[in-house]
Amino acid sequence: MADPLLEVRDLSKRFASRAGRGPSPWVIQGLSFSVKEGEFLTIVGPSGAGKTTLLNMIAQIDTASGGEVRFQSEASPLNDPKALNPGLSCRIGYVTQEDNLLPWRTTLQNVLFPLEVQGRLTAETRARADLLMRAVGLADFEHHYPHELSGGMRKRASLIRTLVYDPPVILMDEPFGALDAQTRMQLQEDLLRLWNLGRKTIVFVTHDIAEAIALGDRTLVLSRAPAHIAGEHIITIPRPRDIRGIMTHPEFGALYQRIRAQVQ
Amino acid sequence: MTARDDVLDLPREGPLQWRRYGVTIGRAALLLLLIAIWKLGADAAGPMYVADPFKVLERIIADTQSGTLLRHVYVTLRISMIGFVIGCASGVALPFLLRRLPRLTDAVEPYIMASVGVPKYALVPLFILYFGIDDAPKLWLVGLLVFYPVFIAVFAGIRSVDRRLINMARIVGASEATIAREVIWNSLMPFFFAALKIALPRAVSAAIIGEFLVGNEGLGYLIEHSRQNVDTTGVFAGIVIATAIVLIINAVLVELDRRVSAWRPIAREMAL
Repeated sequence: MADPLLEVRDLSKRFASRAGRGPSPWVIQGLSFSVKEGEFLTIVGPSGAGKTTLLNMIAQIDTASGGEVRFQSEASPLNDPKALNPGLSCRIGYVTQEDNLLPWRTTLQNVLFPLEVQGRLTAETRARADLLMRAVGLADFEHHYPHELSGGMRKRASLIRTLVYDPPVILMDEPFGALDAQTRMQLQEDLLRLWNLGRKTIVFVTHDIAEAIALGDRTLVLSRAPAHIAGEHIITIPRPRDIRGIMTHPEFGALYQRIRAQVQ
Repeated sequence: MTARDDVLDLPREGPLQWRRYGVTIGRAALLLLLIAIWKLGADAAGPMYVADPFKVLERIIADTQSGTLLRHVYVTLRISMIGFVIGCASGVALPFLLRRLPRLTDAVEPYIMASVGVPKYALVPLFILYFGIDDAPKLWLVGLLVFYPVFIAVFAGIRSVDRRLINMARIVGASEATIAREVIWNSLMPFFFAALKIALPRAVSAAIIGEFLVGNEGLGYLIEHSRQNVDTTGVFAGIVIATAIVLIINAVLVELDRRVSAWRPIAREMAL
């Protein structure tokens, strides 16, 4: 079997304790899992389970208290804040919970921002950005500022801002959490369509079990803090999937029950 | 549409139109009132204390035609602007440097904040002692008075930058220089403009005060020299011109702010 693309080994995290309060509790302890190239991995866990903390450590914007993360079998030191390499030299993309669009840039300028700072702004990459803008229906809004867009549009912009520079791994932290059900389903469909085009490796964190099943090849269940892996489920529902009808798929019910029993 | 509807439509448009004209008319009326009070004051107090507004206008026109006024304006603006650029550049650069050195910042911050309390005008005699009586002491005064509001605003602005935007930029591969220029600089624009609104008029005031004390040109010299010659009209003419300069600078600044901050939702709603 080929080596996993991304491997989390025995990862632990506790935040620095405040003076006079004693040691702070472990948020994550002994967490291990791996992701294959081209796999869509979903991780479900209750709120406060350390899902965001986990992704922050993989993206290297936060330190780990123990354990390591390996990318293509190459380990990064995660205990020293000065040694962190956020985004692992553009190889790990991160779509955060908030869209984090730069408010003084128009939609298109925001989408082109990664290419610009990486010095990769060419006719070819611009064409790719245009393609993505059109694929998610933002073509008519390229000169709008973020505050002039709807929540769903901002999410789409932040999603394609990461897709545009094509990092081998993309982390997603409940990207559709704050949206209404209708927009959410639309965006899940968009995401699956875009993923089908490139088959990126995705680690998608959510608290919504149905979303985890609908999107993933495999779903991991996180326990309450201190978080570790409480269960693993292969999602055998064939692709392409019908997001809107996923709940009526014969395998959905049993999967949902099994996962829910583990999410406490 | 019936005639009745037309009648009903009128008041809907009316008050809005009137309100808009009303503000302009009100402003003009207020200006006339102020000039009238000035004129009455001049008549009551006598030309020794309050110059007649029409004589002041005559003087401004005469001095403009002879070119002396423009020369004074040029000299004052030159000192204000050079001093402003020096003070503003250091007020921006220092917080950006300190950002990279958090421990040094913690060490020096209380001293910088304490030095805000030193009355800068009180330092002018020292500046004259150290730097002579040419432009240098005036530039020091203007530079210092501009430095503090800019430094404090930019310092606070840098601290208020959204960490999440910085993290996003790091993850997509932005260098520290790019982050400073793109994320931090743009984030602190509102702070920077708030500081400029204080610093630019201050620069002109400081230059004028410098000219009271040193040199034989500039609006400050014009005002002080006129006073020594018991020429109250000259004093008032200088004050009117100095005020006009500050008002013009403010108008330019407001327009610049409007353009730079076009992306800000608040600015647009306020424009209504």
